[in-house]
Amino acid sequence: MDLDNPEQQPQSQVQVKFVTRDPEISVPTAPILVPSNLKRLGLSQVVNHLLNSEKPIPFDFLIDGAYLRTTLDSYIAENGLSSESVITLEYVRAAVPPKFLTSFQHDDWVSSVAASTSTQNRDSVILSGSYDGIARVWNLSGEVLCEGAGHQSAIKSVKWIDGDHFVTSSMDRSLRIWRYTSSSAVDASLKPVAEYIGHRSTVESLAVNAAAKHILSAGADGKVGLWSSVPKESPDAPVVDLPARTKKRKLAQTGPKVVQYGALGMLQSHTEPVSGVAFAPQDSTVAYSVSWDHTIRTWDLTTLALVDTKTTQHPLVSLCSLKTLNILACGSSARHIVLHDPRTSAAGVSAATLRGHSNAVVGLSANPANEWQLASAGHDGTVRVWDVRASSSGNLFTINRESDGVASNEKVFDVEWSSVGIVSGGEDKRVQINATPRE
Amino acid sequence: NIDPESLLPKLPSPQDLRPFPTTTATIYKGHQGRVRTLNVDPTGVWLATGGDDGTVRVWEILTGREVWKVKLSEDETVNCVKWRPTKESAILAAAVGDDLYFLVPPIFDPETEIESKRLLDHGFGTAANVQQDPTKKTPPGKWSKPMDKLVEQGVPVMVTVKMTIKHIAWHRRGDYVATTSPEGQNRAVAIHMLSKHTSQSPFRKSKGIIQRAEFHPFRPILFVATQRYVRSYDLAKQELIRTLQPGARWISSFDVHSGGDNIIVGSYDKRLLWHDLELSTKPYRTLRYHEKAIRAVKYHQGGLPLFVSASDDGTIQVFHGKVFADMMENPLIVPLKILKGHKVTQALGVLDVDWHPRECWLFSAGADGTARLWN
Ligand SMILES: [Mg+2]
Repeated sequence: MDLDNPEQQPQSQVQVKFVTRDPEISVPTAPILVPSNLKRLGLSQVVNHLLNSEKPIPFDFLIDGAYLRTTLDSYIAENGLSSESVITLEYVRAAVPPKFLTSFQHDDWVSSVAASTSTQNRDSVILSGSYDGIARVWNLSGEVLCEGAGHQSAIKSVKWIDGDHFVTSSMDRSLRIWRYTSSSAVDASLKPVAEYIGHRSTVESLAVNAAAKHILSAGADGKVGLWSSVPKESPDAPVVDLPARTKKRKLAQTGPKVVQYGALGMLQSHTEPVSGVAFAPQDSTVAYSVSWDHTIRTWDLTTLALVDTKTTQHPLVSLCSLKTLNILACGSSARHIVLHDPRTSAAGVSAATLRGHSNAVVGLSANPANEWQLASAGHDGTVRVWDVRASSSGNLFTINRESDGVASNEKVFDVEWSSVGIVSGGEDKRVQINATPRE
Repeated sequence: NIDPESLLPKLPSPQDLRPFPTTTATIYKGHQGRVRTLNVDPTGVWLATGGDDGTVRVWEILTGREVWKVKLSEDETVNCVKWRPTKESAILAAAVGDDLYFLVPPIFDPETEIESKRLLDHGFGTAANVQQDPTKKTPPGKWSKPMDKLVEQGVPVMVTVKMTIKHIAWHRRGDYVATTSPEGQNRAVAIHMLSKHTSQSPFRKSKGIIQRAEFHPFRPILFVATQRYVRSYDLAKQELIRTLQPGARWISSFDVHSGGDNIIVGSYDKRLLWHDLELSTKPYRTLRYHEKAIRAVKYHQGGLPLFVSASDDGTIQVFHGKVFADMMENPLIVPLKILKGHKVTQALGVLDVDWHPRECWLFSAGADGTARLWN
C-alpha cells in the first residue's frame, strides 16, 4: 500500500485492527500493519481501500471511546503504549456539521418544539409551544399555519401524537389534546379536543407512544402521569373546587371550553419535580422518568408499580432514550449528560458521561437516522451533537443561536432531531432549524 | 525534630467536599433597583424576591422566568420575603415599610390556593370576637384586609406594625411569624399569630437595637440579635437562656444550624463568626475574609454541610461546615469558593442569600438589580 508519503522510507509501522458497529461498512478484523505516522485521513484511505469503495466514505477513528486527532505515533507516545501491541481502531462515518437553515420569530420564549414529517398528502410542519401560552404550527417557510390558545399559562411541552393530533402541557398544570387539520400547504386549522387534569404543579415534559395510545407526563409535583391519547377512553376528571377567580384571571381564560378528563394513573415516588419521561423502546408497558431528586425510575405501566430506582450524583432535568442501544441519556443541572443502562441487571448507574455544556442540559433528542448520535439543548445557549461511541471526546458539533445573524447565549429550552433537521427553541423567542445532511 | 506543620490538623481539599456551588446558572432580571431579599418556596419550585421597586416577584427557578409580580408600595422597599414553611399552603409573607403582607400568588393548584386563603381569612372571625381590654396596651400589629386592588391580586391579609420591618421569621409549624423592626425599642420584636390574627411583643424592656429574631428549628426557643449580642430565650418559661458574645461591633444577620446547636453570625464589620452553643458563649471560629460588610449568612437547611456569607464587596463565600453527632468532635469548617458575579452598585453588593431546601443550589440578591442562581 502506497499511502501518504511513499518517498519517506523506512517508515515505522504499527499493527492495527479495524472494527465497526455498522455492518454495511465492515472490513476483515485481522490485524494489519500501517505506517505509524498516519492520521485520520490516511487511515480513512486504508479502510476505503479495504472496502474497495467506488466513492470514498470519510471515516473517523476511535480508540477507547475517544476520537483519534493525532498521528498513531503521538497517540502511542501520549498514552504510554507499546508500539508492539495491536491497536483497535473503531471507525465510524465522519459526521457532517449541521448547517443553519432558518428560524421562526415568536412573541415570547419558545419552551418546546416538535416536528411532524412529511407524508404523501402533507408537507413537514413544526409545532412550537411558547411562554405566551400558545401552540403554533409552522410550515418550513416560517408561516404560522394555525395557533392554539387555551392554556392559562406558559406551555412547557408539545408532542405530536400522530399527523392529526398533538398534546401540549403547561404551567397551568393541565395537558391539552388538539386536532390539527390541514387542507393545503398554507391553510390549516386547530381544535382543542380535551383537557387533562390531575397534576398539582407545572407539567414539565411529555412522551407519546401512539401505538399504545399512551401519553406520559412529568410533573413538578413529583408525579408521573399516565394518560390515554384518546380522550373518550379516559376516566372522568377529578372534581376540584375552584378558588373564587379574580377579574384578571377570568380574562386569561380565552379559547373555547373543552371537556376535561382524568389520568389512567398518577405514579408517585419521586421526591422532587419530575423533569423527563420516556417509554421503553421495545416495551410500551415500561416507562422511565428522571427527577431533580437525582433518580432514574422505571415503572410498569400495567400495574402502575415502581420497578427500579437508580440514584445519580446530580439533579436530572431531561431524558431521552436511544432506542436500538437501549440506553437512557439523562441531562443534569450540573452541566453533563449521563448515559445509563436501564436494565435492572446493569451493574453501574452510569455507562458514560458526556461533558461539554457549561450550564444545565434541559433537552435531549436522539438522531432518528443514526442510533449513536443525540442532540442536547443547554441553558448555555447551545445545542450540542454527540456520538455516544466517542463519549470521552466531547461533543461533535456545537450549534449556536443565529438570531438575526448575531450569535447570542440565551438559553435553549428544547431540541428535537427529526428528518427536517435539528429543531430547537429558546429564550431568544425563536425556533431554529439546522439541517443535518446524511453522511 | 518534629515539623510543626505536621501537628496541625489537615483540612480536606475542596475537591473532596463537592458538591458546592461554583458558577452562575441563572440570572433573574426584572426588578428596578436593588433586589433586597429572596426566598425559595418549601416545594423548591418557585423563587420569591423583593426589592427597592416595592414589588414582590415569583420566578421559575431553572429558567429565570418571572411568573408573577405584585406592587406593594410606590415608594417603599420590600425588605424581606419568607414563604410559610409548610407544603399544604402557599403563603408568602412580605415586609414593606411598616406593613407585613401575606400573599397567595395565584400560581398554585386550586386546592392549595383555597387552603391558603382559608388559613389567612380564618382569623377575621376570631379577631372580631376578642373584646379590646382598655387596661392593656394596644397590640404591636393591626390586622386588616388590604385595599381591594391588592386583595384581587392575591394579597388577602396585612398587618400594620408601627415601625419599619426589616426581617421576618416563620415558626416551623407556620402559625407564628416573628417580625423585627430595629427602631422599635422594646417592641422591636413582634410575634404574630396567623390563626387568630393577633400580635404581641414578647419583651418588656429594650436591651439594645435589635437586628433580627429567628426561631430555634425545633425547640420553643427564640434567638434575638442586637448589634453586639445574640440572646436565646425560652418561649415557654419566658426567660433568658444564654447570651452569645460574637465580638462583632454591629451584627447584620445570623442563622441557626438545623441541628439547633450551632449559629453563624455576620457583621457589618466584615466578620463571620461560628458559635458552637455547646462550647462557649464566645465564637468557636472567627472568619475575616470579606473586604466589606457582611449582609447575610445562611446554612444549607436540607442536609448538605454548607454555609455562605454575602457581602458588600460583591462576593459570596462558600464554606463547608460539618457538625458532628459526637459531642466530642468540634465542627469542621473549610473555605471552599468565592462566588463573583454581582456588581457592586453604590457601595452595596450582595444583600441576601438563600439555599434551595434540598439541592446544592444557592440564590443571591444583588444591589445590581439581579438575583442569581449558583450551582
Ligand atoms: Mg458538638
